[in-house]
Order: sequence, then structure tokens, then C-alpha cells
Amino acid sequence: MIEFSDVGLRYGNGPEILRDLTFSVEPGSFHFLTGPSGAGKTSLLRLLLLSLKPSRGKVTMFGEDVSNLTQDRLLQMRRHIGIVFQEFRLLDHLTTFENVALPLRVLGQPEHEYRPNVTELLEWVGLGQRMDALPSLLSGGEKQRAAIARAVIARPKVLLADEPTGNVDPELSSRLVHLFAELNRTLGMTIILATHELPLLDKFPYPRMLLSKGELVIHD
Amino acid sequence: MIERVLALLPRRKGAAPIVPEKSVAGRTLLFMITIMSFLSAVTLGGVVLVQKSAIAWSADVGREVTIQIRPVEGEVMDSNLRTAVTLAETTPGVASARALTIEESQALLEPWLGAGLDLSSIEIPRLVVVQLTDPQDADIESLQRNLAAINGASLDTHAAWRQQLNTMAGTIVFSGLLVLVLIGAATVLAIIFATRGAMATNREIVDVLHYIGASNKFIAGEFQGRFLSIGLQGGLLGATAALLFFALIGTAAGNMLSSEAGAQVGVLFGRFALGYDGIIGIVAVIPVIAALTAITSRMTVRRFLSETS
Repeated sequence: MIEFSDVGLRYGNGPEILRDLTFSVEPGSFHFLTGPSGAGKTSLLRLLLLSLKPSRGKVTMFGEDVSNLTQDRLLQMRRHIGIVFQEFRLLDHLTTFENVALPLRVLGQPEHEYRPNVTELLEWVGLGQRMDALPSLLSGGEKQRAAIARAVIARPKVLLADEPTGNVDPELSSRLVHLFAELNRTLGMTIILATHELPLLDKFPYPRMLLSKGELVIHD
Repeated sequence: MIERVLALLPRRKGAAPIVPEKSVAGRTLLFMITIMSFLSAVTLGGVVLVQKSAIAWSADVGREVTIQIRPVEGEVMDSNLRTAVTLAETTPGVASARALTIEESQALLEPWLGAGLDLSSIEIPRLVVVQLTDPQDADIESLQRNLAAINGASLDTHAAWRQQLNTMAGTIVFSGLLVLVLIGAATVLAIIFATRGAMATNREIVDVLHYIGASNKFIAGEFQGRFLSIGLQGGLLGATAALLFFALIGTAAGNMLSSEAGAQVGVLFGRFALGYDGIIGIVAVIPVIAALTAITSRMTVRRFLSETS
């Protein structure tokens, strides 16, 4: 599903942030992406999100070389990728329901079509009673669950998560990873979850991609 | 108060707008577009008033020529007047000819000489008012030749006045249209700045929309919808204010002047009545401003997105 071959990334004329990355990710798999701060986790996620192009090497996603994609094709491919951020990035003026429904609105679905699906998903992530609340009234855990729901509502093939547990307590972190695991198991979604919380890595037996100074030192 | 007025204006229905309705840029832009719409509508209304008055006055004056008979020693004024009326009535294209009475002639001099003067002892020039059926078909040259037989008679076709009036009206209309173009250009520039400001303010929303797979076209459409709504609201407020302005001016002009002075002002400058075409023109400012706002913002957003993508 995802293949990196000798991929390097630099911003402008600066030093290489990522070097010689070669790995593949199988459909339906779950990977932890870990490493110290500054190791290049977020840059790698941005490559996977197709918001950056590699400076060298080859990235293949869904069977296509991403370096020569047209703007339209890039957009179509990006719709197969969901993203969850550490800082949630919910739109403050929209309710939980409206935030979660956003990807379906972008796809042009009318509200009467997407309302049952969004409602069902919000109930599944435990926000059935908070659908009409604005993000400012949600707790950290609730915000992150809303952000996860928004990322998966359009059923992407790949779900990327950038430190999704960074703003919640350890117990909630564990529950959130359970939620990702459930999405992986029930929907067969490929998940790459970036975290530097070692207890989580020990608790969940998923393969790890360890980045250090821009290089992939472990990929099991 | 403004909030209550805005609440009455049309709003988009359905899902909540992705671009927040209550943003500082939106309010400022609404105020600016209201002012621009008001100025456009007032300018347009002024142009319509001037043009209508000029056309009406020119047509009135053009349908009428005046024979003036100066008192000449040895000539009998009444006889000359009758001859002039007969000559006029037999000229092709003339509907009627009538000599003004001595009282009517004196009344015409009142604004300059004052009322209550006894002018019976003074010989004053007399006028014959000639109404034409059609200014194009009337044989004015023939009338002029025939009048040469009357000592002291001259024909005034008001051609110089009409030309002067048309030139003046044309200049005012052209200036008004130029002002409209400049207001339009200023509006476009203001919308460009406001749109770029709104894009910068809502950068987080743009980023999130990109991350969830929104195309530039979709994002531009969302901003365009927001700006179209602002343009419609501003256009509606500005045009309504302009219509009220003309209604007030018309009423005030009617109340402040006496009926006689009002009639003279009305003849010279029109009645401050826009008429249906003027009202339609002012109402047309609303969709024009809204479309201008929407198209400008869409183009600005597309350019902004292509620059930042």
C-alpha cells in the first residue's frame, strides 16, 4: 500500500531532515512511528499525507508514484488518507457534529445523507451526547475523539495520527489507542500512529518504526 | 440596532458556514460595501435625474419656438402680432400659435422688475408662442423667411440653449458614469484586501480543509459564499439607504419651496422623482455589487490558494 525507497527530504537548501528511508506498509496494518523530538516524525507524516514531496527517492502510495501526480489526482489520493493532530485542529465555530461531518461536506454529500452516519460514529466514539457542543466546551479527550471521528468518517484507507495522545493523561492515552486499534480491527484501516510515549509502545504489540536523526533505525 | 436590521436580511440555510460569519473582516467589509453601494446608487440616481430632466426639458423646448416682436415706431403691434400668428399657423409642422396677452408679457417681466409696477405706459416686446407638431418636420426656415416681412420680428428656436443644456447634461452623465467606475474599482480593491485579510485570519480553516481533502475550488466556493452574503447584505442596505435619501430629498424640496418657486425649480432641475427606471437602476445595484463581491473574492481566494499551495 505504501512503499518508500531511498527517500530523502530537505526543506529548501537546508540539511536533509529525512535520509535513506526505505520501508513498506501493508494494507490493514498498524504501526507505531516513534523517536525523540526532532527525529523527523512529523516530516515523515507530512510525506505520507502528500503535503510534501520527497527531495529524492521514490514514494509509492496505493500503487502510484506520487512524484508525478496531477493536482486533481493528488487531491483524490489525499481523500484516502485521514489525519489526526496532537492539537486536534477542530474548527472552533462548528459543533462537534459539524466538525465530524466536514469531510463528507467537502465530498459534496447533502446533510440528510450523512447525518445518520455521523450520528452513529459519534455515538460509537462516545460523543453521542456532545454532538451539538462547540469544541471550546469539550474536554481534551472529547476533542481528540471528535478529531479521530472526523479523520475516519469518510472511510480513508490510511489513518495517520501525529502524537494524538500528547494532550491527554496516560489513562486516556491508552483508551485512545484502543480506539485506533478498534478502527484498525473492525474497519481494516491502515494506521500509522506517531508517539514518543514508551508505555504505550510496551502496552500495544504493534510493529514500530523508530526514527533517529532522520533515519529509520528500526522497522519491525 | 444594526444587528436587528442584519437579522432580517436573507441568510444561507442548511449546514453552518465553514467560514465563520462573525469575523471582524466581514463586519468591516459589510460596512464598506454598504457605503459603496449607497454612493453608487446615489450617483446612478443623480445621473438618471439629470438625464431625465435634460431630455424632458430639451423635448419641451424643442417643441416650441418663440416669435418676438419688438416695438418699432410707426408699426402697429396688434396688427403685427396677428400677421405673425397667421404666418406661423400656415407654416407646415406647426400645431398652434398664440400671442401672449399684454398681462402675460408683463408677468414674464415680474421676476426681474418686481410685482405691482404699471407697465402700460411702456412699449414692451411681445411674444408669439408657436407649438410644433414635430420639431423634425416643421419648416422653421420658411417661417423665418416669412417673418422678415414684419418689421421688428425675430424667431428664437432656443437651439443654443438646447445645445448648452445637452452639453451640460452629457458632461454630468459622463462624470457620473466615471464616478461609478471609480467606485467599482475602489470596491474591487477593498474586497481584494479584505479577502486576503480574511484568508490570513482563517488560515487554520484553510489548512484543515486542505488536510481533509478539500479542493481549492471548494475552499474558494466557501469564501465566495461568505462574501456573496456580505455583498448582498451591503448592496441591500446601501440601495435602501439611497432610495430613502431620494425620497427624503424629494419631500424636502417639495416642502421647503413655495409652490411657485418649486414649480420653477422643477422646470429647471426636475422633480427629484426617480421614476421606475431610476428605482430599477438603484435596485440593480444590489445584484451587481453582490456579484462583484463574489467574483472578486473568488478570484482572490483562488490566487491566494495557488500561491500558498
